This record gives sequence, structure tokens and C-alpha cells, in this order.
Amino acid sequence: MGSTGTTETIHSSVIDFAPYIVLLPMIAFPIILLFGRLFNGNKVWISTFKEGGIFALVTMATSLLLAILLIKDYIGAYGDDSKSALHVFDWFSSAMWNGGATTTEISFGFGLYIDHITVMLLFIASFLCLLINTFAIGYMNTDPINDNRNHRFYAEFVLFCAGMLGMILADSFLWLFIFWELMGLCSYLLIGFYYERPSAAYAAKKAFLTTRVGDVFLMVGLAMLWHLFGSLDYAVVFDSDNIAAVDPASLQWALGMMFIGAVGKSAQFPLHVWLPDAMEGPTPVSALIHAATMVNAGLYLVARMFPFFGAEAMHGELVDLAFIIASIGGITAVMAASIAFVQMDLKKVLAYSTMSQLAYIFTGLGCALWLANSLDWHNDDDAHYIVIVAFGAALFHLFNHAMAKGMLFMASGAVIHEVHHAHHHLHHDDHHHTPKELYMLSDYLTSKKLSTFEFFKTIDLDSSGEIDMFEFQTALKNTEVADLPPWEMGDLMKAVDLDGNGTINVPELDIVLAKIKGKTYEEHEHDDHHDDHFDAQSMENMGGLASKMPITATAMLVGSLSIMGFPLIGGFWSKEGIIANAWRVGLEDPRFFFPAACVLLGAAMTGFYMSRMWLKTFAGSPNNEVAAHVGPTNTWIKIPLFTLTFVTLGGILFAGMGFTHWAPDSGYALMSEKGLFEGIGYELGHAFANHDMFFFTLTYIAIFLGAIVGPGLALSLYGGALDEGETAKPWFTPILMLNAAIKGRYSWDNSAFATSSLSRALQNRLYFDHYYDMAMLKIVAAFSLKAAHADSKFIDGAIKTIESTSQSASTSLRKLTTGSARDYILMAAVGTLMLFALIWGVMA
Amino acid sequence: MTDYISLPLIAFPLASSLILLMFVSNLTEETKQRVGPIIRMASLIFSLIMLALTTGMFFEYFGDFEGWEGINFNTYEFQERYLWIESLGIYWSVGLDALSFPMVWLTTFLLPVTIIATWHEKSAATYFPLLLMMGGALIGVFVALDLFMFYVFWELTLIPMFFLILKWGGDDRKYASQKFFIYTFSASVIMLLGLVTLYFLQDTTTPLNYAGSMTNRSFDIPTMIDASMIANTNGWFLGESVQKILFVMLMLGFLVKLPSVPFHTWLPDAHVQAPTGGSMLLAGVMLKMGAYGMFRLPFSLFPHAMESFQLALMLFGMVSLVWGAIVCLGQTNLKKMVAYSSVSHMGVILIGVATMQPLGWAAALFMMFAHGIISPMLFAVCGAFKHHYHSMEIGAMRGMAKHSPWLATSMMFAWMASLGLPLLAGFVAEIMMFIALWYFIVAEGWSIWWMAGPLLVLVVTAAYYLWSMQRTIFEGGEETQPPASMAGHAIPDITNAEKFAMLLLALFTILFGILPWIALDMMSDWTNQMFDSVILPILGGFEGGA
Repeated sequence: MGSTGTTETIHSSVIDFAPYIVLLPMIAFPIILLFGRLFNGNKVWISTFKEGGIFALVTMATSLLLAILLIKDYIGAYGDDSKSALHVFDWFSSAMWNGGATTTEISFGFGLYIDHITVMLLFIASFLCLLINTFAIGYMNTDPINDNRNHRFYAEFVLFCAGMLGMILADSFLWLFIFWELMGLCSYLLIGFYYERPSAAYAAKKAFLTTRVGDVFLMVGLAMLWHLFGSLDYAVVFDSDNIAAVDPASLQWALGMMFIGAVGKSAQFPLHVWLPDAMEGPTPVSALIHAATMVNAGLYLVARMFPFFGAEAMHGELVDLAFIIASIGGITAVMAASIAFVQMDLKKVLAYSTMSQLAYIFTGLGCALWLANSLDWHNDDDAHYIVIVAFGAALFHLFNHAMAKGMLFMASGAVIHEVHHAHHHLHHDDHHHTPKELYMLSDYLTSKKLSTFEFFKTIDLDSSGEIDMFEFQTALKNTEVADLPPWEMGDLMKAVDLDGNGTINVPELDIVLAKIKGKTYEEHEHDDHHDDHFDAQSMENMGGLASKMPITATAMLVGSLSIMGFPLIGGFWSKEGIIANAWRVGLEDPRFFFPAACVLLGAAMTGFYMSRMWLKTFAGSPNNEVAAHVGPTNTWIKIPLFTLTFVTLGGILFAGMGFTHWAPDSGYALMSEKGLFEGIGYELGHAFANHDMFFFTLTYIAIFLGAIVGPGLALSLYGGALDEGETAKPWFTPILMLNAAIKGRYSWDNSAFATSSLSRALQNRLYFDHYYDMAMLKIVAAFSLKAAHADSKFIDGAIKTIESTSQSASTSLRKLTTGSARDYILMAAVGTLMLFALIWGVMA
Repeated sequence: MTDYISLPLIAFPLASSLILLMFVSNLTEETKQRVGPIIRMASLIFSLIMLALTTGMFFEYFGDFEGWEGINFNTYEFQERYLWIESLGIYWSVGLDALSFPMVWLTTFLLPVTIIATWHEKSAATYFPLLLMMGGALIGVFVALDLFMFYVFWELTLIPMFFLILKWGGDDRKYASQKFFIYTFSASVIMLLGLVTLYFLQDTTTPLNYAGSMTNRSFDIPTMIDASMIANTNGWFLGESVQKILFVMLMLGFLVKLPSVPFHTWLPDAHVQAPTGGSMLLAGVMLKMGAYGMFRLPFSLFPHAMESFQLALMLFGMVSLVWGAIVCLGQTNLKKMVAYSSVSHMGVILIGVATMQPLGWAAALFMMFAHGIISPMLFAVCGAFKHHYHSMEIGAMRGMAKHSPWLATSMMFAWMASLGLPLLAGFVAEIMMFIALWYFIVAEGWSIWWMAGPLLVLVVTAAYYLWSMQRTIFEGGEETQPPASMAGHAIPDITNAEKFAMLLLALFTILFGILPWIALDMMSDWTNQMFDSVILPILGGFEGGA
């Protein structure tokens, strides 16, 4: 039935190509998978094509290019109520019946829809996907444990990107949900990338299940919304006449259910438990999914609800939901930040930080939605401005956070990568790999109490003292050694042929076997390869890296400052906006003092844990030998770090250009009408010299908490000057000097806190995971086992009872078959009589 | 007009399988071994011919991708009628409409796929003809337009399946095959009683079309539906109590076949013991006979009774859905888990039906079709698992992703499809059912707690599938060794034939997930027609409607 057509309010020649933004990565998915299977291990495939990394890179670059062209056309048409839509196909149609004499036709279709919010997210997603792809080539392809399975990573990566871009471009809540689930699948696959690790398998399952709980509510929300509007297309549900026709209370319930889906996807309290565990995935995955893109899906969904809250017909009706959104944000912001205080794992700190920052955005959105819902912004210009800016601040924080957190994760990946490398370099150079089969042979000889020479004598057929492969093979087939454990013959023969010349050198083999005698393969492998309990992600194994990894340290510093809301850097502009708006709403609606207080407190906490993380990693002296041997990272990793550092530093430029007008609204165009410099001047003045005394004070309190109190505490506890002889880049010098000075003078003992029960609770993530696991195990699993038992015992048991009863009945009936003619005649007579009686009874 | 159905789709597979079986039965073991591959190839070619025919029907007659020609309710394409037993009014009557065609196509699609997936089954000389016979009998059920013929084929399907389980089944196959046979047969007998009553209650003074010369009564389904439609518009066809009783009798047979809790316990036993091919056809098509029968007979004939039993239908659906899913979570046997998941999914069909919404019915029809593609894949995976690891226990083998990447990928795909991942076929039916259910609940003023069941099940379904994947595909790095039954042998991945079958099933799951309208347009057209001709004139506009 598929038909194509455009209904557009802006004219863009690019929109016809817009489906390819989604389609290209989707097509790349099977291609990379197929090529990866076909050329697995092939030299050219590994070195030139980076196991599919280059395919993915080209695809994502094309998607980004198309996205930018689309955005350019869209911005070019600003000034009006810009929307653009492309109908791609009708998915299916059916009918509904309300009990009357006719049915109503309904149909579901798929198309693209572009407005302010789309444009913003589209840029973030396609831009970051490309950068993270670049990073992944530098990270994944140099990691030895990924042996020949990176094509799987890139295939899942592009499918994920297709899901994200599709979700952003989709023209209905139904397709938003479809792509949303596709992302969920990819996140599951990518978290479980190291499938052999039980922890990764567990984390993947947990992530999918936890988000699934939210998704189910989202589905209910969609069904409710569909019932209200008879459609899920944005064009229909955002129409103000249609909104005016629905019952506000029902709409609030529908949106509330959908919000639960957002809570799950964006890892907010109480469905937050999956995000820290999801760090089991490779670092590019953490950067992509759990910082830059997928977790933003929940925010996107809430942002999409703006037209409902902003509709005049809903005036003041949806404030409760706005409050719930803001409060969930407030609770999570503080909770996650406090857990981040005690984490030792570099990526876990970032995970909790992500959670906390997403919570900021939720609070910001909640406040913006409250303002949109309760101010008379359609008629009042000042109110209009407030609503647009409040909504813009929340989405601008989304932008800043995505850029900064994507960069932080990539930088942390670079650190982990190099620490791991250094560790490997230090400890494993001298080891020679001994094949598994030799261990088995050694075990076998020990168990038979044979020496190597004796064993080979028994199979030396021509008694030449040297045994060639043919002899060995024949001998093993002999009955005498037939009780050998069933080994892989080919591997065994390769293993015993130490010099690879086709003959077995028995004396040399004896020496090798003597070396490994009594050890098991697993033991040896364990201290040979893998982690030997060395945790490359733990900040205990870092310290003083500022001099060794300058680019990474810089990126990490800029990212941290942006997240902290350090004045003039990226996140500052949006974070101040969120805090100010929360208090602005608090003044109107006292309930909002709660989220407002949370975000203000959160600012100080962010300052502390982000500083702690940077100082523990990059300042002070190396914590151990490994950290002292870390080297700089490779170019593939440096490119995205370099790029994002500048994007994050340039926050003021974006603010000046008017990157705050994200509400789909006719009054404000995407880009500011002011010039760039005028815009910057305005923003600066607005932030630091606000005319309103209340907001003026608030700004400085927030700066004081976030940029002085939090970091100050961290500076007094962690880090310190670098070791003698280590030189860092000049821009680190003031920080390191400050750190050394504060730590030298104000250092204090925090062990009382570190051993307190609060700290223990925080280390155990406030026991949420524990109780969720217990509930699963003790209630759900136990009940299902009981149910399975009941099913076979009672339901099937009832059937079996019927069966056995009828069997015994037939056994007793059989006794009637006496074989005597007299009995049969009697029975026939009785039967006939009864039949007659029956018929007579019926007739009468 | 040429008869495209009777000979090529029914008689051909039945006759060829019978001939092959007779031919094989006189051979020695050794010769059987030798002719096995030939018979297998012959069966594959025969089934492919049938598939080509039904696919041709799809493209030529029923339209193409761009639009479906509507077929009025109770009119059939490719309809043919031959006199069978004149005195009783029994005809060999076949035809296709949008209700039966997807099922027929599905059967012809699954036959070759099943043959390929179980390419290396033992005793090939008798196994593959039995599969063919199964296919012929199943198609017979779907195309029959005569009550007598319908019942004959309905019971005929039991015979090949009984032997498939008995001969190729697991350790407990004897018990399972007998239970399967007796259980479903007893239920069908009640259904037969209903059918016969339906026959005898006809008015002999004004005999219907195609009535028997001796009995003045007709077995013709279209004629009876036409008659019932007229009678139902003026009140209850056959009177209220008779209609209700007949409805219950027919539904009992169909509910057992579907199966719905509490009549489901034959299914796990049959599935666990059945060979892979048997399970694939059983879950893929045979269960759908129940749902198909409901639409063809009781819903068309007795809409009044259906409305009065709406709550019961909804209850059966909800209980099947929820109970099936929860029991799944408590299973340790992979195949049993998959079998119970079928019970749960059949609950979706019942719920869709009970909503009495065109959307809900279309959802039910599409679920029949989608589950018919997905569940064979589930069982193919289970079969391969058993074949490779000599165990069905979840956790017996871990780290499949390393040892058998193809099997692991197929498993993950099938599992994800079954749990309703978007862009795969099952999701379309689920979201439709969800929307229809909510609409129905609000319109009818039922408690919103009815939503709690599906809500819970969506999570539980994800839970049991993910839980089983965690313990099979994942984990097991260097610590977990292959099970002792492997005796240290290296574990091979699935064979090329199995890979090919999985690939086919996966491709069609994706195809119908992304482009559901290929099948769904036809189905919603059929439901709309049925609403326009049966439901609306009879039930519409009354205060009890919806």
C-alpha cells in the first residue's frame, strides 16, 4: 500500500533524502555482519577496513552530512511555525467499533517529522555517532581481547545509530516507540558484547529488563493517547483543536504513563539500576549509549510532550505531572551524585554523573512544562519569552551534557586503554604461550606415571629416537594408548611439534613438560592473560597521568568543568538556567522548592565528585607502578577528544547564537535575531548582572557552590602536585599548584565518613539493586516455580484423574462382558425397555 | 475453472505420501537407508511445488503489494464443489478467502522449511512422507467448506502427528503421543456432536441448498452461514439456549486445540517429546486450526452467543496469557518453556477476539500468521540445541556465542521475535491487540485492571527469554566446560541446512514485521467485511454492543 508524498510547510529539496539518514545505517548493519563473517581474520579486513569500522565510519559520515543539509534548509526557512513532514508509507489500517451501526476507519503510517526539537537532537546524535565511531576504531581495534569480533561491534553500532536517528525523525509516537525498542535491543547486545563474562551477561539482561518495565508503561500510555486522539501522529496529536477536544485528566494519565517509559530509558529513580551495570560494555558503547544518545531518548520523549502542556486548552491542567517530572529529576540528581562520591571505578563515577545530569534536564523540562502550562504565554510576551527560554535551557543542557559526557567517556576510555596497555606491557612480556594440549599431555603422563621418554618410546615404531607426525598419528590410534582423553588430534600434534618441522623433539618436549608439570592450564592462563585481579578501570591504579596523557587530561578537565557548571564553559549556561527556572517556578508553586533545592544542592555535589575524579586520575603521584608507565594514546582516539574539547569550550558561542530556542513555536526562530556578539553580550549580562535581585543572588550562590565549595573540598582531599621531573602542559599548572597548596594546608581526615554506615550504603548503591534482585528472586522466581509446579500437578493432574477414573470405570464395565448368553439377553431387554421409556417420556 | 486446490494442494501431498509410505514399507532396512535421500529430495520438491502454487495464487489472483481486491464476506475464491455422498448432502467443497489463505500459504511455506530444517532426521524414508501428509491434511482443514469434510480433515491431522511423535519422539514419546491423541480427539468429539446437532436442527421443510436427498439437510458451510445471518438479524438463530449450547460445544473443541488454559497440558508434553519437525508444524500451523475454526464457524454462525460469552472469552485469553507466561518463567527445560510461550501467545489471539473490535480481530489473525512463522523458528532452535548438546536443560550449555555463533544468533533472533521486538512480525499483532484492548475497555466501561495482565506479561515474557539467553548464549568463558555428554568433542555449529532454514524464517519474520500490510491488508479487509455483514447488522446499534 506504500505511497509517498510530502506535506511541507518549508521547502527543502533535502527532505526527500531524509529517510536515508536512517536507512543507510540500517542497511550497513547486515553488510558489516556479512563481511565480518566472510573475511573474519583476513589481514586486509583487519588493517585496512578495521573490521568494518571504516564501513561504519563512511555510513555515519553520510548520515551526518545529510542531517546537516536538512538542518541547514530547515534553519534557512526560519521565522514561521516551521514544520516539515514526509509521508513514507502506510503501515496498516483497520477499523474500530464503538457499538454503533458503523465502524470507524483507522490507519497507522510511517513518515518523517522535522521541527525545532528534531533538529537539535538530530545534530547531537549524528555528530556524536560519527565521533564515537572514530574513537571506537582507535579503541576497539587495538584491544587484544576483541580478537576478530569487532565486526559484530560495528554492526550493532550502526544499527543502534539507525534506531536513534529513526526515533528522532519519526513522525508519530508509535514509530518513536519502535525505534526506541530497537535501541534497547542494540544496547542489550552491546552491553553483552563480552558475552563470556557473566557480569556482562547479567548487566545486559538487567538493562533490557529494567527499561522494559518502563517501556510497557509507555505502551499503555500510547494506547491511552491513541484512544484520546484516534491517532499517534504528531500532526494530529499536536493540533491545538484536537487537544482542546480531549479530557485533561485522561491526557495527564496518558502522558504520565509515557513518562514512566522515559524514566526507564533515561535511568531515573526508581528505574535507574541498570545504568551503572551497563558499564560492562566496551567504553565506546558507554560513550554512545549511556551518555550521548540513548539515555537522551527519555528526555526527547518528555520534550515532545511540550505541545500538550503548552496548549491553551490545557491551561493549568497538567501542572501535577510537571511537578512529578521535576521531582523525579530532583531526587535522582541528589541520589546519583551522592553515590558518585564513593565510586572508585572511573566509568561508574561517570555513569552516576550521567544519571545526575539527566535528572537536571528532567527538572529543567518539568519546570519548563509547568511554565508552559500555567503561564498565559500565548498572549503575554514576557511570559512567552520565559517559557521559550526555560524549555531552551533544559534542551541546551541536553546538548552540553551530551557533548561533554561523550567526551568524558571517550577520555576515560583512553585512560583505561592505556592503563591496561601499560599493565600488559609491564607484566606479560616474558611469558611464552604454552598450548593447552601440552597441559593435557602433562596431566595424562602424570596420571599414568609415565615419563616423557617412556611414553614416546611406546609409540616410536621404528625406534629411530625421533618421531614424525605420521608415526605419532598411527601410534595414537593403537590400542595401547586408546584410552587417551579425546583431544583434538590436529591441535595436539601441532602442540607437541615445538619447532614446527614435522618431527617431535622428545628431549626438548620433556623440558617443556617438566616446566608446566602439576599446573593446570586454567591457572596458568589466568595469571598469563587476563586481569589477574588488576582492574584497569579503578582510580586506585591511576594518578599523576596529567603529564603522560596531555590531550586526554585536557579533554577530561574541560568536560568535568562543563558538567560542574564552571563559569563560561559549556554546561554553565544551561545549568544556571535550569537552577534559575526551578526557583522561578518555586516562587509561584511552593511544591517546586523541593526540586529547586535538590538541583542547587546537586550543583555543589557535582563540583565535588567531578573534581575528585579528575584529581584522583590525573593529579598527584602515580598510585602504582602501572600508572607510572602509561603512555599517550593513538590518533583515532585523539581526534574526537580534540573536537569535543572545542565544542564544549565554545558553549558561549552557541548560547550567543540563540541555541536556546528549542520550543516548536512560531514566535522564536531557531537562531537568534541578534548578531553573534550582541547575543554573547546579552547572555553574559543576563547571567552575571541580572536585574532581578533574587536571580542575581541565586546565580552567585550556584557558582559559589558548584565552582568553589565542591571542587574546594575535593582539592583538599585528593590529588596533589605531580612527581618531580614530570612536566605537564602549562594550563594544568594553576590547577595543580592550587591543588598542592590547598591539600598541603587544609588537608583533613575523612576516614570517619569513609567508614560510616552512610558511606557503606552509598557504596552499595543505597541497596536498590540488592532489593530489586531479592524481589526478583524471592517473589517472582519463587512464584513462577510454584506456578510451574501447580500447572503440572493440579491442571494436568485433573486431566490425569479423569483419565484414570475412566480407566477404572472401563475396567469395571468390562466385567459385564461375562460371555454368557443369558446375561446379554437380559441386558438387551432392560436396555430396550429403558429406551422405550425415554422415547415415551420425550413424546409425552 | 480449473480446480487449484483439491488436486494440487490436498490430494497430491496426501496421495504422494501414501504411495511413498506403501513403497517404503516393503523395503528392507538397508534399502530404506538408501532411498531415504531420494524420498527426502522428492518431498522437498513436492512441497516447493505447492509453495509455488500458493505464492502464485497470492500474486495472480489476490492482488499484489499495491492493493487488495476486497472479497465479500462468505464468498470464496477458487471455490469448487463435488458431490460426495448425495443422500446426506455431503460435498467435497473447497474454497479460499482472506481468513484461510494466509493459513494455507503458511502451511505450504512451513513444509519445505521444516523439511530443510530437519534434513538429517533419522528414518528419512518414512519421516518426510509423513510431513507431506501432515501438510495435506492441514490444508484440507483450512480449505474445507463442508462441515463433514472439515471434520474429516480435522481428525486426519492427528494421525501423521501421532506417528511423528511416536516414532521420532524423545524418551517419553509413547505417553506423550497417546495423551496428545486422546486429549484432542475427545475434545473434537464434543465438537463433532455440536456439528451434528447443527446439521439435525435444520429446517427440513424448506431445505437449504446442497441438502441431502434423504435427510433434506445440508453440510455446506457458506449456505449455513447465509442462513444464520438472516436468522440472526431477526433474533437468535436456533433460539437462545440452543445457540449458546452449540457455541460452547464448538468452542470447546477449538479451545483445546488452540490451546487455552486450562486445556493446555497436552501441549508441553507433546512438544517436548515431538521431533523438531513435528513441533515446528504443530506450533506453526496446527494450533492455529483452533483459532481458524473459531472464526469460520462459531463467530460467523453465532454472533449473539459470542457476545454473551465475551467475558468468558476474555477470561480464557487473559488466563492463558498470564498463566502461560508465569509458568514459562518457572521452566528449566528449554523446549517446555517455548511450548508454554505458545500458550501465552495463543492467549493474545483470544483477547484480540474477545475485544470484538475489527482491530482486535485483525490482530488475532495477524498473530496467528506471525506466530506461525516465529514459533517454528523457536522450535528449530530448540531442536538444534538438543541435537548439539544432548540436553534440553537451560544452563546445560553456556557460551554458545563462542561455540556455535550461528545457533546463538538464530536463538537470539527467534527469542527476540517472540518477545515482541518491533520491526519483527510479532510486535505488529501485539501493539494492535494492546490498542484494541484499551479502546474496548474504555468503550465498554470495564475495569482498567484488565490491562494489568498484558502489562505484566510483556515484562515476564522478556524476563524468561532473557533469562534463558543469559544462561545459554552468554557466559561460560574459559571456566565453563561443555557438558559431560559432549565427551570432550569439539562442538560443531549447526549444519548448513539448518542455517538455511533459520535464515528463511528470519527473513520472513523481518519482512512481515516491516511490511505487515502484505498479509495484514487482506486480514483487516476480511474483518471489516465480516463486521459489515455479520456483526454490525446483528449486534450493532444495540445498547449492549461493543
